Amino acid sequence: MSSQEAAHTADTAQESLLESPLRERHVALGAKFAAFGGWNMPLEYAGGGVLKEHAAVREAVGVFDVSHLGKVSVAGPGAAEFLNGCLSNDLGRITPGQAQYTLCCDDRTGGVVDDLIAYLRGPDEVFLIPNAANTAEVVRRLVAAAPAEIKITDRHRDFAVLAVQGPGSAAVLDGLGLPSAHGYMSFETAALAGTELTVCRTGYTGEHGYELVVPWDRAVAVWDALLSAGQPHGIRAAGLAARDTLRTEMGYPLHGQDLSLSITPSQARAGWAVGWKKPAFWGRDVLLAERAAGPARVLHGLLALDRGIPRPHMAVLRGDERVGEVTSGTFSPTRRVGIALALLDSSAGLTEGDEVELDVRGRRSRCQVVKPPFVTPSVR
Amino acid sequence: MIPDGLRYTAEHEWVAPGAPTVKVGITHFAQDSLGDIVYVQLPEPGTTVLVGQSLGEVESTKSVSEIYAPVGGTVVASNGRLGEEPELVNTDPYGAGWLVEIEPDASTNLDELLDANGYRQLTEQ
Repeated sequence: MSSQEAAHTADTAQESLLESPLRERHVALGAKFAAFGGWNMPLEYAGGGVLKEHAAVREAVGVFDVSHLGKVSVAGPGAAEFLNGCLSNDLGRITPGQAQYTLCCDDRTGGVVDDLIAYLRGPDEVFLIPNAANTAEVVRRLVAAAPAEIKITDRHRDFAVLAVQGPGSAAVLDGLGLPSAHGYMSFETAALAGTELTVCRTGYTGEHGYELVVPWDRAVAVWDALLSAGQPHGIRAAGLAARDTLRTEMGYPLHGQDLSLSITPSQARAGWAVGWKKPAFWGRDVLLAERAAGPARVLHGLLALDRGIPRPHMAVLRGDERVGEVTSGTFSPTRRVGIALALLDSSAGLTEGDEVELDVRGRRSRCQVVKPPFVTPSVR
Repeated sequence: MIPDGLRYTAEHEWVAPGAPTVKVGITHFAQDSLGDIVYVQLPEPGTTVLVGQSLGEVESTKSVSEIYAPVGGTVVASNGRLGEEPELVNTDPYGAGWLVEIEPDASTNLDELLDANGYRQLTEQ
């Protein structure tokens, strides 16, 4: 037997990987670890596994350690206005206390440097959660652009992030006296046993859920409290492998696969996260031009019609013609069938309902072009 | 988790000695490192295979692994239950999660494969 996914295990052997403050807790739970953006993070837990952890989030509640995510503070007079001239989405669409999905694009190419969540605390303070691997680059670009009075601070290791996701998530927070009733994409500051933390109604699973931004040195106490309060609700520690199957079922893009420096927002169908009417943001000119001309390729969903399981980089074929490439692909634990996100060439003229084939290691697998999500979301 | 009566390969397949056929599967160690198995692709009965040739594939949510024939011969049966219950490879890798039954060719010598001790040493390295 030989595995094509050996990279994960090989990476974990590297000594340079950063560790979560919850590492000992994961070890105690029998976690298998893997490298994510330079961090050694739990992939799945003993007694769990992707399928059980995935099901717990869809049917009960799961808790993820996503402390590898970046944390960046942007503060100073006019911080929000400054950011609004850099990032793609329009911060004018939200009010303090709300968060927004946004993109950091390259000014010249319009390619996506990173996708991130911006938490608007006020006109002079915004907190950013970028992807682990891209945090340093986002910070570098913001620092280079920022006027002297606006401070960009990389706080990657000042905070842990714990995601509580699933239909039982509100009850878990209620049990700890944490706020749970605030609206989707909003956040509140709260206290748990003397620890101040931020409770965001955000997530990457498609379920009702929260992401807790917790001081690094209090992460263990909050993790323990969540698992204990969650016990009557069937809580399960869930690893990043389940997070990936959950987000793929939602059609949420993953940077490095479905979004990248060589994939633009219009191509990834993330145009909804661009404030097209804003006078300035990075990549505006090139992105407006691409939007007017129509993107040369567009991200679609693929649903397997047989037992094939799509994987990233597989060729999408119509007859002998190559019409695209899979960017994310997995087995959907909820639907029990292969699903994928794939960039399809616009020139092929494919639309939803059309049938295509994948080259699965030399065999042909039939798929239907569909519009994600693959599973109905219940984020609200 | 390494039964004594079986023979093993360095690629984590097991062989249950028998006559005229041997059963083949993947080890506990292999299924544990793969994670939840969601699809198993096996050869049709009647297929002839050479030692080390691909027998099929085992897919988890995250990865694909090729299974190699631990002995050469003719596949006489494949485990049909795995079509609907691929998780049997995880829950019972040496029992209900077997993959194929092979009638070994004349040149097969199971003594050339690892015994339980040899395989144990390999996985503990």
